[in-house]
Amino acid sequence: MRYVILVFLLLLTLVLPGTLFHLWAWSGIKPDLAMLFIIYVALHEPKWTGILWGLGTGLIEDFYLGHYLGMYSVTLTLVAALTSWLAGRWYRENFSLTMLLVFLVTAVGQLMVGFLGLGAGLSWSASDIFRLVLGVSIYNALLVPVTYPWIHRSFLHGWLRYRPKYER
Amino acid sequence: MTGIAVLVFFLLLGILISMRLTGLGRQFLNPVGGALQRVLSPVENALLQVGTLVRDDTRAFWSFDAVQKENAALKGKVDQLTGDNLKLKQQVLAGMRYAELDQGVFRSPTLDKFKMLGSTIINRNPTAWYQTLTINRGSDDGIRVDAPVIAHLGLVGKVIAVTPKTSEVLLITDGEGQVSALVRGSSGEGTFGIVQGTYQRGSRLTASGHLQMLFRRDDNVNAGDLVLTSGWGGVYPKDIPVGKVTEVQLDKSGLLKTAYIEPLVNFDNLEEVYIVKMS
Repeated sequence: MRYVILVFLLLLTLVLPGTLFHLWAWSGIKPDLAMLFIIYVALHEPKWTGILWGLGTGLIEDFYLGHYLGMYSVTLTLVAALTSWLAGRWYRENFSLTMLLVFLVTAVGQLMVGFLGLGAGLSWSASDIFRLVLGVSIYNALLVPVTYPWIHRSFLHGWLRYRPKYER
Repeated sequence: MTGIAVLVFFLLLGILISMRLTGLGRQFLNPVGGALQRVLSPVENALLQVGTLVRDDTRAFWSFDAVQKENAALKGKVDQLTGDNLKLKQQVLAGMRYAELDQGVFRSPTLDKFKMLGSTIINRNPTAWYQTLTINRGSDDGIRVDAPVIAHLGLVGKVIAVTPKTSEVLLITDGEGQVSALVRGSSGEGTFGIVQGTYQRGSRLTASGHLQMLFRRDDNVNAGDLVLTSGWGGVYPKDIPVGKVTEVQLDKSGLLKTAYIEPLVNFDNLEEVYIVKMS
């Protein structure tokens, strides 16, 4: 059940930015929900599990978008690794700190997307990249108070909680 | 450590190559993406519709100021469009009237050899003293004083004053406008005379019609005869319809008789005319 819900959430993160959040875009800036999802997963999963989720989600997103294969695989893997590294040092019960973490990790992730895009030959200007990195990071951080308490509680006590085999 | 660095380098290189090969506009086999799109597109469609519905329904709450400003702007636009619409309707009607004019309710071989210029009536004489109207053609269009003016059914009058952009037309119903005419009876023979408007100073409420002609007692003129221009006065071309005799009355002396003529043109509703260029 846990994995079904996680996959469902993953698919939602792919669908929502192009639909509902497209309508609530802020000067054309939408949140990167897949990145937010991976940050949440990496905050609550062991390091390598988080990284695997990052890689898997990135691959699915790459195939879903249908171009620049590898861009999100690498980015979300890196995001998961960075989040796991920070999670060991930051207190994840503090929602304000989590907001800051989400802002910083999203910024790094979006910067990665920007640089990879430049490497792939996309002609993005520095101001475009700066605007997008800042905008998406702020948008993702603003979604934390709305989404994180529910996700965090679910990972600890709800349907998303990891249950060892002997508990099942 | 070096091994890891080399691995990361090749991994990044491979990803960059992959991104280059699968960039925008490049076609490649993507069954996973296709399957995802197939599965998710109905959900996306539904979400977008619901989202749009919600956004549209709640827009007034989220952006009240903007909606208020937009409302004011739209009201202004509605007023402007209503005016434009009215103008367009008027132009369409004018076009229809011109088309009717072009069909030529009357045809005269004399008239056909002259050039005619369509014109719109832009004003009527503001005083009660004269039966004149102003049209939107002037000397810039080649209009000269004394040029005959006709409408789709018959004679209207002649130009009496010209400015570069406008001209003033004296109607045949004015007492000052006299027309050399002939009355054609049922047998076809013509009787010449002068048509005179009855719209004269101090007598504009005359009940006996707008036009009249004087004849000798013996002239064969009857009610129902058609009055046409004779072409003799030097102003109007021949055979332009002027009106129809409605009544013939003997003078008190018994020597003359007066034919009262009803003009064919309805001067009150006239909006467009043709100016005949005689030279």
